Amino acid sequence: MKLAVALLGFLLATPAWADCPLDLGRGTGWVIYSDHYLLAFRPDPLRIEVGEPFALVLNVCTKSGEPAELLAVDANMPEHRHGMNYRPDIVAKGDGRFRAEGMLFHMPGRWEITFDVRAGEESERLTHDIILK
Amino acid sequence: MIRFPLLLLSLLGLWAGGVFAQQLLDWTPEEIRTVEKHGPWPPSPVRDPSNKVSGTPAGILLGEHLFNDPRLSGDGRVSCATCHQAGREWSDGLARARGTVELDRRTPSLWNIGYLHWFGWDGAGDSLWAQSIRPLLDPREMNGGPARAAELLRGDAALACGYEKAFGSAPGTDDERLLVDTAKALAAFEATLVSPRTPFDDFRDALVAGNREGASRYPLAAQRGLKLFIGDANCNLCHLGPRFTSGEFGDIGIPFFVRPGEVDPGRLGGLGRLAASPFNLLGKYNDDATGNNTRRTRHVQRQHTNFGEFRVPGLRQVGRSGPYMHNGSLATLEDVVRHYSEVSPDRLHSDGIPLVRPLGLTAEQSADLVAFLRSLDAEPLARPRPAPLCP
Ligand code: HEC
Ligand code: HEC
Repeated sequence: MKLAVALLGFLLATPAWADCPLDLGRGTGWVIYSDHYLLAFRPDPLRIEVGEPFALVLNVCTKSGEPAELLAVDANMPEHRHGMNYRPDIVAKGDGRFRAEGMLFHMPGRWEITFDVRAGEESERLTHDIILK
Repeated sequence: MIRFPLLLLSLLGLWAGGVFAQQLLDWTPEEIRTVEKHGPWPPSPVRDPSNKVSGTPAGILLGEHLFNDPRLSGDGRVSCATCHQAGREWSDGLARARGTVELDRRTPSLWNIGYLHWFGWDGAGDSLWAQSIRPLLDPREMNGGPARAAELLRGDAALACGYEKAFGSAPGTDDERLLVDTAKALAAFEATLVSPRTPFDDFRDALVAGNREGASRYPLAAQRGLKLFIGDANCNLCHLGPRFTSGEFGDIGIPFFVRPGEVDPGRLGGLGRLAASPFNLLGKYNDDATGNNTRRTRHVQRQHTNFGEFRVPGLRQVGRSGPYMHNGSLATLEDVVRHYSEVSPDRLHSDGIPLVRPLGLTAEQSADLVAFLRSLDAEPLARPRPAPLCP
């Protein structure tokens, strides 16, 4: 969490990202970025429980200010080489805001969430790890 | 002269002190947090929004009467209670269920069934009431036919009266609706079957509360077994939470051949049947207008890895049930632990770190695991006969 806050401070200090709406409404969440994309997200409900469905609330921005699209969200356990038993749907809420509904982690351990984003021609995959206890 | 008894006395003292001090193993804060997740027990009562009579006294009472009523079956001889027996942990003690013929799977216990989200060994049901329709119709189980429940509810004065109390109107003419309502009353009753508190629960509560004396009453073998369960043996990857199940599916290397040349596809087949069922939560009989309870059904995906997967069973009362596994192929808890100790890795076709691997347990470790599993058992209260429907 501390890291995310520090990151946020760093990113907001970089003018190109300044317009990106990172506020997800609960004052909490994760921020990940690449050379071109900035993505903020949080689970809904906030606490992910093993075996319980949840959604991700996301904002996707680009450095160029171009509108970005969230193509897919998925998750897998790299150590065990298996994914989720569920396939989420993505609903675009406008202004770079998205909701991925229908996630479920059926086991404790390390889950890698993948986000496929696209602006214009080039698409990219961003990832984030969560350790679920 | 005096020295000998003194020595003996102090030796005795040492021995007693030693035993007492040994009654509680060292539990790290991390382990205590993990143990805590297997409680509290009992959980709060179930309320299933897809079933309007769930949690209602009139629905539960009607359900209990129907559960014991053989007139729901084609030949008038089989009721739900024929296979799900109160005195046998709501199962039947057989390796494979016996209805009109022998089935390919074991009768699961109905303890704590209301807290699940997928039903049947293959998860073909997404609600307890939908799962309760299947045995009524299945020609191998009760073979009741689609109109039988309706005719019974309309034709029997006591049941008709009980129905009216539960559903607010007399049984109507729509047979399918009455079949579903029968199943909803059955489900309301089944959801009240909550297993008793166990020695494990007393240990867990004492450990979490920092009550060393209370915790030290839990046998050492069970403590060692529990440490294995949540530690090196990784059992709680799948058998997690207060009911010791994730409610999802796994493949632990139990053979899925039913007879030569025929396999039980497990979850893969269950998902096909779920999608084809008019009674799934996406259909018109779901009483929850918000649609919140349809998320699993809408988003679940059918993948080739589902082949040969079966639902992770809960482990409460496990030592009192058995035989074990979806096909009853293991007779005792000792056999189950031997399976996890010796399972062939070839059978578990996994490219990553396998979730189940041959543990190679020593005889003592195996006995400890069994001792822990048995600490999840307790004698249930005797059930009084249900009150009459309409006195
Ligand atoms: C012939 C024996 C038999 C009879 C009679 C029977 N069942 Fe079952 N029951 C089974 C078997 C076998 C399964 C496992 C089915 C499967 O996985 O395909 C099962 C599964 C279930 C499940 C799912 C349990 C779980 O762990 O997911 C429920 C609920 C259930 N039965 C309720 C009922 C009700 C209600 C009735 C009466 C209407 C009934 N059963 C009659 C044998 C029987
Ligand atoms: C990968 C998930 C997974 C892990 C890890 C796992 N189990 Fe299981 N367990 C299952 C599944 C799935 C079944 C049912 C398999 C079947 O019927 O084919 C099962 C069945 C059982 C049963 C039989 C219950 C019954 O009612 O039939 C017991 C007891 C049990 N497991 C104990 C353990 C113990 C002890 C460990 C650790 C050594 C363990 N399990 C590890 C998934 C798992």
